[in-house]
Amino acid sequence: MVEVKNLTKIYGKHRALDNISFSIAPGEIIGFLGPNGAGKTTTMNIMTGFIAATSGEVTIDGLDTVAEPERVKASIGYLPDTPPVYGDMRVVEYLNFVADIKKVKAGRKEMLQDIMRQLSIDDIPKRLIKNLSRGYRQRVGLAQAMVGQPKLIIMDEPTIGLDPKQIIEMRDVVKNLGKKHTVILSSHIMQEVSAVCDRVIIINRGKIVATGTPESLSKGLQQGSIKVRIKGDPAAINTALAAYPIISGITPEPSPEEGVTDLILSGNEGTDIREAIFNCMSNNNLPILLMKSTEMSLEEIFLSFTSSPDGQLRGGVSEASAYDSRPDAVGSVTGLRQQDLGQNPISKEEA
Amino acid sequence: MTAIYKKEMRTYFTHMMGYVFLAIMLLLVGIFFSTETIGRHNPNFHMVLFNITTFFFVLVPVLTMRLFSEEARQKTDQLLFTSPLSVMQIVLGKFLAAFSLFLVGTVVTVVLPLMVRSYGELPVSQIVGTYVAFLLIGAASIAVGVFISVLTDNQIIAAIATMGAIFLMFIMETVALLMPVTTVASLIFVGVLVLGVAAVLYNSTRNIIVAVIVALLGAGAVAGLYFLGVLAFDGVIIRVLQWLSIFARFNNFALGMLNIGDIVYYISFAALFVYLTANVIEKRRWR
Repeated sequence: MVEVKNLTKIYGKHRALDNISFSIAPGEIIGFLGPNGAGKTTTMNIMTGFIAATSGEVTIDGLDTVAEPERVKASIGYLPDTPPVYGDMRVVEYLNFVADIKKVKAGRKEMLQDIMRQLSIDDIPKRLIKNLSRGYRQRVGLAQAMVGQPKLIIMDEPTIGLDPKQIIEMRDVVKNLGKKHTVILSSHIMQEVSAVCDRVIIINRGKIVATGTPESLSKGLQQGSIKVRIKGDPAAINTALAAYPIISGITPEPSPEEGVTDLILSGNEGTDIREAIFNCMSNNNLPILLMKSTEMSLEEIFLSFTSSPDGQLRGGVSEASAYDSRPDAVGSVTGLRQQDLGQNPISKEEA
Repeated sequence: MTAIYKKEMRTYFTHMMGYVFLAIMLLLVGIFFSTETIGRHNPNFHMVLFNITTFFFVLVPVLTMRLFSEEARQKTDQLLFTSPLSVMQIVLGKFLAAFSLFLVGTVVTVVLPLMVRSYGELPVSQIVGTYVAFLLIGAASIAVGVFISVLTDNQIIAAIATMGAIFLMFIMETVALLMPVTTVASLIFVGVLVLGVAAVLYNSTRNIIVAVIVALLGAGAVAGLYFLGVLAFDGVIIRVLQWLSIFARFNNFALGMLNIGDIVYYISFAALFVYLTANVIEKRRWR
């Protein structure tokens, strides 16, 4: 369905996309994951023909996007990160305009009705778009992408700015779309993607870092480390932990209260250290106030990725099975946790 | 193209811009009709239209300021340029919408000479010529306005720049006469033009070799012409500036002469700017 070969995009001196290639089978729901500025939007803009690549090619359904732009564009529905809606149009007016520019003729009325029903915007056909809430506007934007039943629907951050209920609705919509269309969506939220996507492509700094199913990737993301909050001073805790060699990694965290210590503890690969932690602390009369396993979110990985240059990070536990490319990058993922998580604003919020 | 055209026409009247344009236009027509035609007992309508062209620097931005700038601001350009329409269709749709509104305003004014007609003889050929010139100058300046609106995503900036550009074209004839006619000045001017072309080439192709070759060829051609016949260069600045002065040819039409050269000039001027607009959009994709 989609074939991307050696795509490179250079803005001035900045290499936004660096020789990326992937292919997508018909009917797949693909998630693009990556931090802001990773190249997600650039890739999507090139696939939709909004911008041109510096080199490389994209074929959609066997058609080259540069050689036959009009035919390719007719088979794509695109929801950019900002819904491309005209504030001064009414919802129905707008969708009719989109049908006009997409040259949809037969059965237009039924099709628009059907789309509006699917996205539950059929109750607001006469509202001016500028008066709609962000969530509704997003849905009108998605309705626009569905006009003309394109084979491929591309969505850039479709759930950004939506409230939790709307996010869940949007997920259902995307799942439904996947039954009839090939869908590509981008996100920087792992749960988002794992909930709906058949396959995930992780990009960072213009390169594909990993691809795989959400299951295989999230397995790689669970590090088996435990976050604990213990009542007691750090020195006592360290002495206590010294007696338990099974707990090999100790990383202090900023503690939220007086007299309380936060730590991230990890064991060697494949070992469960929870019991050891309990025994250690109870033997030393150090009450455990909190104990939870840390799952590394993609935000954390990518924050660390973008804050330290590649290759300077200590390689850690081998997690390579989940990543089918770039072992150097994988090493970074696991190694950096120990260094950087302490300064990570997101992990502080967990407390 | 018709989809874009219809949308723009509708936008003119949902955004008040259409009404504003028609109001200003008809107000001006009314003022000049009462001062020039009624006040002076003069059946020649051409002064009315000529006076309105001096206000094109206000009228045209009203028509063109938001055409592309607003699409860029609202990010709806992503919708248009990822739709199966070609860039040229989009540009033409917008240009034609602006021109049609201008045409509507112009057609309404036809009532006035018809009114005068019942009181005496009308200089028909002059008036028809004036209307043709009026529409052609309108098309040319709208094309300039469309081109400027694609350069920015701020309609105010687009409006001010269009005002400036049209005002400059209006005074261009006077400015041109102030320019030196000496051979040296002309040579320098042509040299700068050649460098400019080479710079644009380099900017769009990023190929320094092609740019240098073009610059050298241009310089060679200029030098050759200089040594062969010096006369070719005299007054070249004036001629170039006069080409840009779209208002200068109004008088031929006002005398009732429909010169094919003038008509072709206006149409090619408008076509050039429509083409440049499409080109800027295309080029932006590759940047």
